[in-house]
Amino acid sequence: MKLTKTLRNSWLVLVAAIMISCPAMAAEEPIDIDGSTTVGPIADAFKEAFEDIHPDASLTIKKTGSGDGAAALVADRTDIAMMSRFMKPKEFKTAVDKGIYPVAHVVAMDGVCVVVHPSNTIDELTSDQVKAIYKGEITNWKELGGPDMKIVPVSRDTASGTYETFHKLVMKKEKMDSGVEYVNSNPQAHARVSKTQGAIAYVGLGFLDRKVKALEIDGVTPTRRTIAKGLYPVSRPLYLFTNGYPKLGSLVHAFCTFHLSEEGQEIIESKGFVPLTDY
Amino acid sequence: MSLKTRGIFNKLFTFCCSSSVVLLAAVLIIILAPMMYTGCTAVIFRGTHEFRAMQLELFDRGDPQQIQQEEERLQELRQPIYDMLSHFERGIATEQLVDQAKDIYRDYGDKLRYDNVPRDVYLSKRRQAREIRNLLSDAYETTDKTEALEYLDEVDSHELKPDFADTKIAQLFEMADEYREIVNTVDLDRRDEYLTALDEVKEALRRLFGPRPGAERAHLAMNRYGSTRWDQVQKNLDVLLYAQKWVQEEPGQPAVKKSVSRAEEQFAGTTLEPLFAMVENDIEKLTQPKPTFYWQYFIDDSTPGYFFGGVGPEILGTILITLGAMLFATPLGIISAWYLVEYGKDGHVVRIIRSCVNTLAGVPSIVFGLFGLAFFLMFLFPRIGLSSEPSILAGSLTLGLLVLPVIIRASEEAIRSVPQTYKEASLALGAGEFRTFLTVTLPAALPGILTGIILSLSRAAGETAPVLFIAAIASGPKPGSIFDPTRLLSYGSYVIATGDRIAMRVPHKQYGMVMTLILLVLLLNIVAIVVRSKMARKLRGY
Repeated sequence: MKLTKTLRNSWLVLVAAIMISCPAMAAEEPIDIDGSTTVGPIADAFKEAFEDIHPDASLTIKKTGSGDGAAALVADRTDIAMMSRFMKPKEFKTAVDKGIYPVAHVVAMDGVCVVVHPSNTIDELTSDQVKAIYKGEITNWKELGGPDMKIVPVSRDTASGTYETFHKLVMKKEKMDSGVEYVNSNPQAHARVSKTQGAIAYVGLGFLDRKVKALEIDGVTPTRRTIAKGLYPVSRPLYLFTNGYPKLGSLVHAFCTFHLSEEGQEIIESKGFVPLTDY
Repeated sequence: MSLKTRGIFNKLFTFCCSSSVVLLAAVLIIILAPMMYTGCTAVIFRGTHEFRAMQLELFDRGDPQQIQQEEERLQELRQPIYDMLSHFERGIATEQLVDQAKDIYRDYGDKLRYDNVPRDVYLSKRRQAREIRNLLSDAYETTDKTEALEYLDEVDSHELKPDFADTKIAQLFEMADEYREIVNTVDLDRRDEYLTALDEVKEALRRLFGPRPGAERAHLAMNRYGSTRWDQVQKNLDVLLYAQKWVQEEPGQPAVKKSVSRAEEQFAGTTLEPLFAMVENDIEKLTQPKPTFYWQYFIDDSTPGYFFGGVGPEILGTILITLGAMLFATPLGIISAWYLVEYGKDGHVVRIIRSCVNTLAGVPSIVFGLFGLAFFLMFLFPRIGLSSEPSILAGSLTLGLLVLPVIIRASEEAIRSVPQTYKEASLALGAGEFRTFLTVTLPAALPGILTGIILSLSRAAGETAPVLFIAAIASGPKPGSIFDPTRLLSYGSYVIATGDRIAMRVPHKQYGMVMTLILLVLLLNIVAIVVRSKMARKLRGY
């Protein structure tokens, strides 16, 4: 008997504790941001600087992927969707059917850089050669004039926006060979290449460092300038999508135009992306 | 079989058993120990002055006066380094110098116009000034030493030098003198090479000591401080002292990595050369590393991207969501188990239910996540007037469903193992079925049920996939109520491992989060185990 009583009491205490630790809902409704893991760091950094300027703003950020970001916007589960690709016609259609009108804000540019291990003597490839590697037609660096090493092609998973950019611009929508390895994030692709001599992969511009070597593609080195000017063949804009153009003067509006301020541009640059102005 | 062989077999069996236990423990240690060790470096490490400055500014910790003094002392020590760098830079980054000369010339022209001098004087002075500027620019642009010196001589011996003495143009002569000095120490042919190397050096210095004094305040906290930890200091020092070069030794073979000392090769003979030895020898003085126990790691909020700070909100969120899941799953699990044992006779229905429960236990957790999204968030919540945005409540309910099979199975076994005589005694005394269950069967079965709860606690705390869509966020405010989404240790480890490149610069944060999760699960388990043993003792009547 005593036991059940103490038991019941402990439950009560527990429930009470949880109730106490959860006071009433905060007054200010937070801005929800959801979507691409590539755009995520920009949103993170914007949040940090943004909350300094607008102390009453509160933002929540989720990084689940471009596709989920679009789905969340369509289902009205989020205020801003981050995407590393444009919305697909199908996504647009479901959105409009539900009375949601996606508007794109381009915040930055990013290059998808083809990287190899620094020990690789190859400095330059054409996009057709890269395509042939990923289609399994070229399997040894020797065939391209490099060292006698087996090529280990590494790709991002098919759900990522980076994959879709690469698939469209380099693979020309052709299927990759079954021997291609799939990893599900930029840091993983970077780690795989920096540890494997024969590996080749593609990562965002921000992931270039001295542990990997970026290749010239069709004679163009990926740099901020070549990407901003659109010379580098595998570049893409990064988007924020909102439902309709945000109400002028609202916090969402301020957030979606933050990249236009000098501060926003510096942040984008320090995060390894390419700001839109070409100065 | 003879007694002897049986004895040998017995011994062999015992040996196998104990060695497998040892093996299991060893594997656990091999996997866990390095992870825990690296994780501990998030809390215990040698923190530099930059760490203390960061703590003061971001978290208001430490003695401001003492840190200010340290800052001033360090600035004094670091100043010669920056002076050396600026001096060298003036000879290398000539584009800036050309611009500077142009600016001076333009200012001078403007001033002449405002001064209202006669037109012919204005024109001749302006032409002369332009000549000087052009000569100086030529000197800056050429990579041939003798040529540069010739240009400089020409600037110096310019007939109108005394005339310009009190004007802006005098600065051009000063610049020419300064450049002459630099030209004599720098190999101009290698200017471009120097320029790229210099950028690397500047970046490495920034990562070591933070932004240069007088530089604009960086917008992001991660760019505002240098190396906050001794291990980072060593890494960045290595980048500062050595460049990497990949050399192909034989054709057809991969290139080999070569470390190139910047002092001995890249910048040998320049005015920058002493800088490297200076930094290397005095690195401890320049960074002031001290053993630091950063226990606040467990309560601090972090800057977005987890660059600085701790895992406080993650711990709170994980505890809330796990307890919520238990609150939901335990009563439901026990009642279901009770039904299955006491009322569901061994018929077809019970068999089907039981196999359903077993199947449920084997369903991948992401399926639960999608189910939670579709059922709770999209279907149920809007209908009962709750928002369909991610929340702790939705996460708890989904995790509760996830662990339900484990709790049901454990409770079932525990209830079944309560001796029939207990129940019969209770019933004989006139207690009803419900009362008997509540006061006799349940207390007797509780230790067993708790085992199930312990198992599922750890599972609920560590799952990422089910909460991915319905409760977790990567960054945001601390949850205000159970209707808010929250940060979680499990999802945090996932976020830190994917996406941002800064994770590569703070590996200790990544392992720190994993370590915290392991510690938290361990702690919850220990609490549950203590409660269980107390209960068991009570039952036995001690």
